[in-house]
Amino acid sequence: MARLELSNLHAEVADGDEKILEGVNLEVKSGEIHALMGPNGSGKSTTAKVIAGHPAYEVTEGEVLLHLEEGEFGDEIEIDDDQRSWNILDLEPNERAALGIFLGFQYPAEIEGVTMTNFLRTALNAKIDEREELFEDEDADEDDEEDEGFETSPMEGPADEGEVGVAEFQQILQEKMEELDMDERFAQRYLNAGFSGGEKKQNEVLQAAILEPSIAVLDEIDSGLDIDRLQDVSNGINSLRDEQGTGILQITHYQRILDYVEPDHVHVMLDGQIAKSGDASLAEELEDKGYDWVREEVYGTA
Amino acid sequence: MSAATHTEVHANLTDEQVRQISDELDEPEWLLETRLEALDALSELDMPDVIRTPGRDWTNLHELDYESLVDPLNAAENKDQVGPEEAEVLAWSEAVDEHEELLKEHFGSVVDPQENYLTALSTALFSTGTVIYVPEGVDAEGVTIRTEQNSRSLFNYTLVVTEESSSVTILERQSTGEDSEALRASDSASGDEPRADEQYYSGIVEIVAGENSNVQYGSLQNLSEEAYNFTLKRGDADTYATIDWIEANLGTQLTKSGVETELNGDGSESQIVGAFYGHNDQHFDIDARVWHRAEHTTADLVTRGVTDDVARSVYEGVQDVGRDAWDTSSYQRENTLMLSDESEADASPKLIINNHDTEASHSATVGQIDQEDLLYMTSRGVQPRDARNMLVEGFFVPVLEEIAVDELRDDLEELIAARLRQRD
Repeated sequence: MARLELSNLHAEVADGDEKILEGVNLEVKSGEIHALMGPNGSGKSTTAKVIAGHPAYEVTEGEVLLHLEEGEFGDEIEIDDDQRSWNILDLEPNERAALGIFLGFQYPAEIEGVTMTNFLRTALNAKIDEREELFEDEDADEDDEEDEGFETSPMEGPADEGEVGVAEFQQILQEKMEELDMDERFAQRYLNAGFSGGEKKQNEVLQAAILEPSIAVLDEIDSGLDIDRLQDVSNGINSLRDEQGTGILQITHYQRILDYVEPDHVHVMLDGQIAKSGDASLAEELEDKGYDWVREEVYGTA
Repeated sequence: MSAATHTEVHANLTDEQVRQISDELDEPEWLLETRLEALDALSELDMPDVIRTPGRDWTNLHELDYESLVDPLNAAENKDQVGPEEAEVLAWSEAVDEHEELLKEHFGSVVDPQENYLTALSTALFSTGTVIYVPEGVDAEGVTIRTEQNSRSLFNYTLVVTEESSSVTILERQSTGEDSEALRASDSASGDEPRADEQYYSGIVEIVAGENSNVQYGSLQNLSEEAYNFTLKRGDADTYATIDWIEANLGTQLTKSGVETELNGDGSESQIVGAFYGHNDQHFDIDARVWHRAEHTTADLVTRGVTDDVARSVYEGVQDVGRDAWDTSSYQRENTLMLSDESEADASPKLIINNHDTEASHSATVGQIDQEDLLYMTSRGVQPRDARNMLVEGFFVPVLEEIAVDELRDDLEELIAARLRQRD
């Protein structure tokens, strides 16, 4: 089990003083699906980016904590008592990923010249290595240093294959792509380059399926999807939760995807804060009444 | 830009030196005359044109201390010149011996020896070279020329002549030798001259592509980072001929390189693919130029480069569509990626159209690594350093994909990867 805890989170644009988040409190546990809704500019995407460690935002107050239970990363990684809670704001984006945080981007980058397969296998192996480093015993240090000195010699070719070899990875990738009903040719294409909007989103879910995060933040994964692909993507999200126990924080504008990915909790964000939380019925109410209704209710009674 | 403003190397050069070079190569009288005329012209010739932006000459060729860099009688090199049996791949002295008529017809016909100061200097002093002759209908793969410079200065010349409906693939590489006796010898001879390890390399390449022939010429310049390099490569494409260039630059402290095709025959084509990666204080001045002078000609210019540390790059691309060049297709793109805030890059794509029946495009961009791209990769677990390296290697891929010579592509890929791994 893992639990992501946003506590009194304040953030602003790094090269300005525009405040965007003004005290966000939110908890997402493994196996739960949360929907985060709200009008444009309310701070939903910023919340996602701050969790991932986007350099354009500066956290001015509050914390983002990740709590891990024993066995979160399987038998091979021993999590000591003093390694159970992490303030992920102190960590680099790749270290956050190693701890099981995943951000599905609203606008995934198009990376020319880097194949999906190469990228994802690199990411998977880096994640495994980084995790070992973060949780490694003091005793193990020496061995590792020796290894590293050898691998990083500039005269060597690319470092060793990594934990997951090419053949093994191909198999993992193929299975996951079949599950998501993706064309296998995607594997040899350049990362998102020339992908349609829907293909990019499908690819985000594929990457989550391969990296097996503890908590996945999905920023408008439903935008730009036609109905068929919306179903594929929704199935992918549901199996992340059902098969891997991933906790999902799903940012969306629309009720539509919530018909396929039923949320346990729905939160409404207004002006950089969570203004209201409820169950799935809250999303339906929003669909009928819009956000002004929440605004009136919250500020009207304040 | 008068000759008087730069170091007058020619004041130290003598007819006698030129005679000695020509004599050792057993050259005929007319070649010696061409060399002597070039030598004689030095005092009146200008340096090659360079890009100028307000208040700045990007490449200052006048500052080079030619007088001490140029050491005409002590040239030393290791050279491999190999090719398949079907084609003739000859060292310059062999070509002089066996193909005088061919040389008489083509030497200096594409690049005028007196085009500028540095071409004239090269013509007067070159002591080594290769002549590649491909007879009619012959398909010659895998001509490779490797030059390892072991002296203070080295002047090289390459001539490629393809007869009708032949084809050839050529890879020419330059590097600097580890041990260079001659270099050390010439050091002790001269007094307080430039740094002991500085060198000057000069190369002229002429390609005469006959009707319906196909020439792929790849160049990989990986000279020492103490070296200066002046290179001019130009091809003349006859009817339905194709000349494809690959121009890769990784070495030298300063390179001035031009790669050019004259599309003189109807239906002729040319592609110029360029790649460079400058770091430390390297300076690359790269020109890619094509002249459309006949009907139905096609040109495609694609260059990608990286600058890091305090390296500078300047690129000029010219597509010149002549008045009689009906039905021209001409495309040009150049992209420079700057890895450091202190590196500099300037790009100037020029399109000159004198015939309206032309489809053309040209573009150039200079940018840095996209932070969103980087975050996308690191947020999936990839280490920042690896993510950056993947982005840089990926940046070169569109150019690498255009390289049909496998050996060159593999070499270049490896050199790029090695240079990236040197970095933090």
